[in-house]
Amino acid sequence: MAADSLTLARPGPKPGPAHVHRNIFQITNFSSYPLTSHNALSSLPRTMRAIAASPSPFSLRLHGELKKTPSPAFLSNKDRSFPAIPPRSVSLLSSRRPDHNPSEDTDEMFDELFNKYGKVVYSSGDRKPTSAEADDDAESLSFAVTLAKTANEVKAADIRVLFVKPLVYWTRFFIIVTAFSRPQIDAIGSRMRDIAEKQFKKVPSGDTKPNSWTLLDFGDVVVHIFLPQQREFYNLEEFYGNATPIELPFDSESPFRY
Amino acid sequence: MIQPQTLLNVADNSGARELMCIRIIGAGNPRYAHIGDVIVAVIKEAVPNMPLERSEVIRAVIVRTCKELKRDNGIIIRYDDNAAVVIDQEGNPKGTRVFGAIPLELRQLNFTKIVSLAPEVL
Repeated sequence: MAADSLTLARPGPKPGPAHVHRNIFQITNFSSYPLTSHNALSSLPRTMRAIAASPSPFSLRLHGELKKTPSPAFLSNKDRSFPAIPPRSVSLLSSRRPDHNPSEDTDEMFDELFNKYGKVVYSSGDRKPTSAEADDDAESLSFAVTLAKTANEVKAADIRVLFVKPLVYWTRFFIIVTAFSRPQIDAIGSRMRDIAEKQFKKVPSGDTKPNSWTLLDFGDVVVHIFLPQQREFYNLEEFYGNATPIELPFDSESPFRY
Repeated sequence: MIQPQTLLNVADNSGARELMCIRIIGAGNPRYAHIGDVIVAVIKEAVPNMPLERSEVIRAVIVRTCKELKRDNGIIIRYDDNAAVVIDQEGNPKGTRVFGAIPLELRQLNFTKIVSLAPEVL
């Protein structure tokens, strides 16, 4: 059976940073439409369709852990072993869509194939084991909660800490905070910088001057400081509605200020 | 490789549809702009009834180019169109949502706001 000779790397359970070897990704038709558009992806060549349809680094990792130069035999095996992907099933390969048709190709089917026939061909060794990742998560969580506490001390309103790691691979936590004036934004920013430098030895990149949307990027944790109109205008909480909110040890609902 | 007179799509919901680059912001008279560079552009086509109108001069940051973007680990990313996100003088995006895939290079160039609004980050 063609699938026996197919050796594919087992992709990791969580999305992580993409580490792909010398591959050229041609991204087609990502311009006008969000990625779940059907017509955009039906024109892609077969081999690229798997990448485009599951656009997260999940797919980049898949290709990254293959041998560096896939032989023609491998490419033809890939065509034969996977069932034909009908053009309208684009949404199925994206694991984030809840409304996929269960009778067509699903992530579970691919997972099964990987479990039965997959072999690790090459692992670049920079992914930490799950326990180390959990430790890192806990560390970032404590950092985020500390920053949220400093924001609370400066009387910032409506502090939210969101765990965005399942949605986004480039960071772990978002902290969204409302400040009511530019000096207050300045105060929150400088306090957070001091605490981060003293306790956690992290220096942020991002806005140095106070801005109506001030952003402090600590790597694992990204802090957004908004003025009230900006917070309503950009509505980040709605965009990251699927992220799990983190309980804070103080009452952060203080919309009124006198 | 964006230069003056280049037409770019707009990758956000600010109200503009198409921009024409008129100047590249940067030191040393740069010939071309790449992903992450700020350009001055004029709006050539706009969606009706929005705050931005045709023939307005605005700043934008380039988020997608047809010219390949090379990374140190060997990845090459090549998009099918040239696109930009309209920003204001402070660097905040004028629209509320961004469309399409955004490369992570923008984070290093202090455009994490655009990255945090992106539906897909490469």
